[in-house]
Amino acid sequence: MKMGLYPKIAADGIRKNSRLYIPYFGVSLLMVSLFYIMHLLGFSDVGKNMTGSSSMGMILQLGTYVMAIFGMIFLFYAQSALIKGRLKEFGLYNVLGLNKRNIGRIVFYETLISWFVAVTGGIVAGVGLSKLAELGFARIIQTEINYKFNFSIGSVVTTIIVYTVIFFFIYLNALRHVRFASSIRMLNADKAGEVPPRANWFVGILGVVILLTGYAIAIRIKQPLSALIWFFFAVILIIIGTYLVLIAGSVLLCRILQKNKSYYYKTNHFVSVSSMAYRMKRNGASLASICILLTMVFVMLSSTFALYANREDTLRNHYPRELNCYARSNGFDEEHRTLPGKLEEALNDKAKELGIDTKNSFSLTNYSFSGYYENGKLDIDANPLMMNNIDFDNVVQVYFFDIKDYNKLTGSGEVLSEGQVLAGVEGNLTLGDRIAIGDVDFDIVKSINPKDSALKHAIVSAVVTTVFVVVDDLENVASLYADKSDPTGEKLLAWEWDYYFDTGVSTEKQKELTSSLITHLREEVKTNTSGKYKIYCDCREEQRNDFVKTFGGLFFLGILLSVIFLVSCVLIIYYKQISEGFEDQARFGIMQKVGMTKENIKKSINSQMLTVFLIPIIFACMHLAMVLPIVNKLLLLFGHNNIQILLAASGVCVLVCGLFYALVYKLTSNAYYKIVS
Amino acid sequence: MSLLEVSGVQKIYKGRRGGATVEALKNVNFTVEKGEYVAIMGESGSGKTTLLNILAALVKPTVGTVVLDGMNLEKIKESAMAQFRRDNLGYVFQDFNLLDTFTLEDNIYLPLVLAGKKHKEMKERLDYLAPALGIKDLLKKYPYEVSGGQKQRAAVARALITNPKIILADEPTGALDSKSSDELLELISQVNQMGQTVLMVTHSTKAASHASRVMFIKDGIIFHQIYKGDSTDVQMYQKISDTLNLLAQGGDIK
Repeated sequence: MKMGLYPKIAADGIRKNSRLYIPYFGVSLLMVSLFYIMHLLGFSDVGKNMTGSSSMGMILQLGTYVMAIFGMIFLFYAQSALIKGRLKEFGLYNVLGLNKRNIGRIVFYETLISWFVAVTGGIVAGVGLSKLAELGFARIIQTEINYKFNFSIGSVVTTIIVYTVIFFFIYLNALRHVRFASSIRMLNADKAGEVPPRANWFVGILGVVILLTGYAIAIRIKQPLSALIWFFFAVILIIIGTYLVLIAGSVLLCRILQKNKSYYYKTNHFVSVSSMAYRMKRNGASLASICILLTMVFVMLSSTFALYANREDTLRNHYPRELNCYARSNGFDEEHRTLPGKLEEALNDKAKELGIDTKNSFSLTNYSFSGYYENGKLDIDANPLMMNNIDFDNVVQVYFFDIKDYNKLTGSGEVLSEGQVLAGVEGNLTLGDRIAIGDVDFDIVKSINPKDSALKHAIVSAVVTTVFVVVDDLENVASLYADKSDPTGEKLLAWEWDYYFDTGVSTEKQKELTSSLITHLREEVKTNTSGKYKIYCDCREEQRNDFVKTFGGLFFLGILLSVIFLVSCVLIIYYKQISEGFEDQARFGIMQKVGMTKENIKKSINSQMLTVFLIPIIFACMHLAMVLPIVNKLLLLFGHNNIQILLAASGVCVLVCGLFYALVYKLTSNAYYKIVS
Repeated sequence: MSLLEVSGVQKIYKGRRGGATVEALKNVNFTVEKGEYVAIMGESGSGKTTLLNILAALVKPTVGTVVLDGMNLEKIKESAMAQFRRDNLGYVFQDFNLLDTFTLEDNIYLPLVLAGKKHKEMKERLDYLAPALGIKDLLKKYPYEVSGGQKQRAAVARALITNPKIILADEPTGALDSKSSDELLELISQVNQMGQTVLMVTHSTKAASHASRVMFIKDGIIFHQIYKGDSTDVQMYQKISDTLNLLAQGGDIK
């Protein structure tokens, strides 16, 4: 045979199946171009110049790998759908005298053409779009960029290599399909007799149970630490549950409806209910996939968007004033009574010396340690890591504050006597009117809300349940725990003094002041104290940049991944509609002959399609609602603590994706009607 | 007045983009009386399927009228057509045309459900029909679970359940083996004896020999017709094959 034959057959096959191939090319092209952009920003100098900080670069680099993995998964899926549509044609070739090896060569050329279109088109599109992406990215992370056109040969080469490997695997997968199909089976591939779906009670109910268990876990988790551990478990349960419910549960539901004679034998229900059962059996898996993808998009977009949108709040919570200085040490020391005053004075003097007035200042001293809370008693000797039945909700960090600090910061005039405390909890605990901390009993005379007061700034991040205890005399109370040590042998008590103030000077001056204050204070503690103190000063303006870049990078990654997921959704929907269209063609004809009007048929099919189409998005919204609490907990790990913004962000995401989804529905159902009529 | 009156029916198919036109039916005239069992015979391409489609109001004739029980098919609005078909015609197809998403029972109910009948009424009608058609035990099965003959019997039940004025059968034995064919033809004869008007299109001599009248269609016109009268099926079979032989030789029997 002539060499030119196989490429010709391959090209012909693609042209004749353009309805299937064009979307495939589009998606693979997009995958390649996004991979190139991601790589450009994450690995090349272009990105490094913009990001500067390494945590950002890491996020983008990680994103590049994720992009490649998802690209591979989705292209594999799309290609399997394609090859199934081609089997009949291959079967015919087989009967006409081409053996499997010859067909393998056709498949090779087809893959080669797809690879060529995807890689060249993808890189051209990627290079073209990269400036746009760069600008968008720079805007998100609020950096200045030049308007020079950037191009990285390294990124191009990597993109080519990665996608060549991916397409090689795709080729192997296609060969596998051809190899294991007999020619008769190939010829009849699309006519394979369809067994009516049987209601599988066991699987259906199991699916509902698994799904509900996943939900229950997601809702019940109260603490970020446990959230991290249980989150993946809940996610896996929800995914499995979704698949089972959509595959078996929905058939079960149709069967139950069919049992109800007076409901079932109605013009409007008769055809839809019975063909729904078929459709769900066929498409349950792809519907579940769509649903999972949508949920991922919702969660990813809303969480990264919330993080990004709330960055200023998070920053200000972390750094309440322009300059933030801390002194820390372990253990109890009499010196702590006087040290804050000394440091404050030294700090103010230094600032004055540099010509800067400190304004809006406040200071806060606390002791803290962790323990395990149970039945009104906080066990400080227990080591949670060594315990068997640990409930992370009960791992507690206690902060002790002095009543004088509290009164000053809140402007109240509380009076406490020895053994009396004000107490509040951030997290999932309720205190009684007494609390035993170690061997000491305290009377809780009043409960306070830690969120309302400046006390919250003392807490770096509320990862575990936090108990705030305001005592009559901080040093006296601390001395009671002076001898205690934690399970690693370190002193139990951690002492911290925070001093926050504004300066009203430029960012540059603030930065200078920060570094001179650090030097000065370190000198001060070395000469005038026991010298065991660690001194830190942070300038908020300096930190802002880091916050914006980290959250912006995550948000950007969220957007790109969402694009990939949504596009894959579209592809699944499109292939589903097309295959259903061919299926319904014959059914359409029969119903008409039996006496159904065209409008009737259209209406019935339309309502079925709409239902089937709405199922994934309804399930996805349900999933989102159920996992939002847990997502909120996880965001605490990033210092984000604003549920309103998260809710608003998810609302916006659902709306935007919903509109996009509706648009896709409209477009793909047009393709469907074209086939049917 | 006859149940079905076909007069001066002509059907021309226009070729695409000004291609050659095909005259499928030239000038067809015949009538069918109530309770008759008429077979229409002809070779492939003789126009019999076109004729049947016109009778079923699936295709409109280019010229001519079809009147069923006093109703002119041409005058019926497109929107009322489906309902007309549902109420007056029962259709039996060569390839059964059962929906694979339904059990046989639901397939049979389909036209009644579309007509908005109550389940009780549907069940009564089926309870009456099913034993006569020998499908009583098959009702809960799906089309893929039963044989071709059984499928066709279910299709006959679907055609009968609306009590149609006329049953139109398009090569009903075309996809069946000879035993199933015999059984089905016997069944249709029984149905006819109960008073049901049947019009069958076929090119099987055996199938046609069951009919009380056979019309031969060739080159778009009714070429000849023979009545069974008091002949047996075997005699009728002989008559038909003689006629077919003559037709094939191009002889003029008029």
